[in-house]
Amino acid sequence: MPPSAPSSETPSSEPVTTAPIRHLELKAGLLLVLTALLIFSYIGYVLYARGIFEGTRDLVLVTDNSEGVLVGMDLTFAGFPIGRVRRIELGDDGQVRIRVSVPEKDARWLRVTSVFTMERALVGGTRIRAFSGQLTDPPLPDGAVRPVLRGDATDELPRLLANARALLENLQKLTAADSSLGHSLANVKSLTERMSGKGGALAVALGGEENARKVVASIDRANKLLDSMTGVAARLDQTLVKADQRVFGSDGVMDGTQKAVAQLNAALGDARESLKKVDAVLVDAQKISANARGATDGLAELRAEVDASLRRVTGLIDEINRKWPFKRDVELKLP
Amino acid sequence: MFHFGAVALVVAASPSAYDRETRNVMAKQIYFTALQVLPGFILVATLGCFVVTRAVFSVATAYGFTEYAQDLAMRVLVLDLVPLFVALFVALRSGSAIGTEVVLMHINGELDALHRRGADPLRHALVPRVIGSTISVVALTTVGGAISLVLAYLGVYGMSPWGLEDFTHSVGQIFDSMTTFGLGLKSLLFGLAVAVIPITASLDTPRIIRLAPIGVLNGMVRLFLTLTLIEGGSLAVRYL
Repeated sequence: MPPSAPSSETPSSEPVTTAPIRHLELKAGLLLVLTALLIFSYIGYVLYARGIFEGTRDLVLVTDNSEGVLVGMDLTFAGFPIGRVRRIELGDDGQVRIRVSVPEKDARWLRVTSVFTMERALVGGTRIRAFSGQLTDPPLPDGAVRPVLRGDATDELPRLLANARALLENLQKLTAADSSLGHSLANVKSLTERMSGKGGALAVALGGEENARKVVASIDRANKLLDSMTGVAARLDQTLVKADQRVFGSDGVMDGTQKAVAQLNAALGDARESLKKVDAVLVDAQKISANARGATDGLAELRAEVDASLRRVTGLIDEINRKWPFKRDVELKLP
Repeated sequence: MFHFGAVALVVAASPSAYDRETRNVMAKQIYFTALQVLPGFILVATLGCFVVTRAVFSVATAYGFTEYAQDLAMRVLVLDLVPLFVALFVALRSGSAIGTEVVLMHINGELDALHRRGADPLRHALVPRVIGSTISVVALTTVGGAISLVLAYLGVYGMSPWGLEDFTHSVGQIFDSMTTFGLGLKSLLFGLAVAVIPITASLDTPRIIRLAPIGVLNGMVRLFLTLTLIEGGSLAVRYL
């Protein structure tokens, strides 16, 4: 409640509740004037803000879908609002015509080569933007008609959802209990179980535990064989060393043979000498044959010499035979 | 109620109704309703608008919608909060006073006395109060709107003058012709309701002195409902 309520002065019966207020009507008038001033300023400011007092150019943007476009929304260039949508109409060809008013002072940003785009974001409204690559190109004439390129984030959503659904269905098929992936995994499982079981990977590769055992046994035998082969090779080696020593070592077979051959050469030389002597004896014998009588003494001597030579040759041959081991036993027996 | 409101409008629109006495009553009504409380109102409105602007700006920034903060603050303040706040303020301060005064005049037979002396009580006692209240509501709404616009600017741009162009553009975007017209109409309806409803409720009260509080109470409840309806209708027209 106010400290003193307003009252009419007309009825005399009404109690006077307030003292007279000085310049009452003047004050009330001042408030009225202030209010009117504020209201007119406000209206003037709003009209100015809406671009009523400046000349504009018209621009018609043509698109196939005006969804999200509202009368009064901005046309921006580099983030600055340079125009406002005045009207949206559907043309006879089914195309949407968006009429945009661009103030004269901002019209310089629009050139004949300018490109216009309309984007719908997920958050916030639709935005119409202008891009002017070459600001030196001729300015856009009044009433120009330009196509507007649409980029719609929400347009992609249905396609994306469809793809995602297909993907999920495939995934579901893959992961189902009777899917081929499931079977494969089951096979892998049984395989790994068998691999970790008796016989291991070999049993899996050969198809059975028995076969694996055979292979293992074969390998064992091969190992043993190799071991014995190693022993055989060592003994062969020893034998060869011995044979080498026997054949080619000092006082070996070769040495003996060399000596025997030298002795043989000497013996053969003796024999040749003896034969020469025989030849001479025979010449002599021819001579003697004429003289048979005197020849018999010389013949007995010669015969003794021949016998002695033959005996030496025989002894030599025996000696060779004795020293030459291969004569007796040519086969080399491996232990 | 509607009849009385229509008559009050007709009387207010006829220049012959404004004689010296009528002007005096009207001036008093304006003085007590608006002028007397203007400094306090400016202070409260400034604080309230500052708090709301900062709150809206902070929330919008936190959610990443800074560019919409100013628009939102201006819409909320100028179009809804300030007019509703002014209407409730005037209703509580002057509407109840008008109701009490009229119900007492009605029960005491002062209005009949006026009538017997050849003076039209409607024209000399009631309509000036309605006009005064309406002018007060519109004046306070205008002042509150101006304060909220200034604070919406300061809240976003601070003392920098470089946001003026952007701010002007935002104002141009928000306050199109229909919105401005709607705001004016809403203020006018609020102003009329603040005086007309308590007066009609008082005149409907039986002439028994102990029923006077009931008459005032009825008037205030109806007034509150009417203000709610007007605000709800305004929101519905703008957003539905």
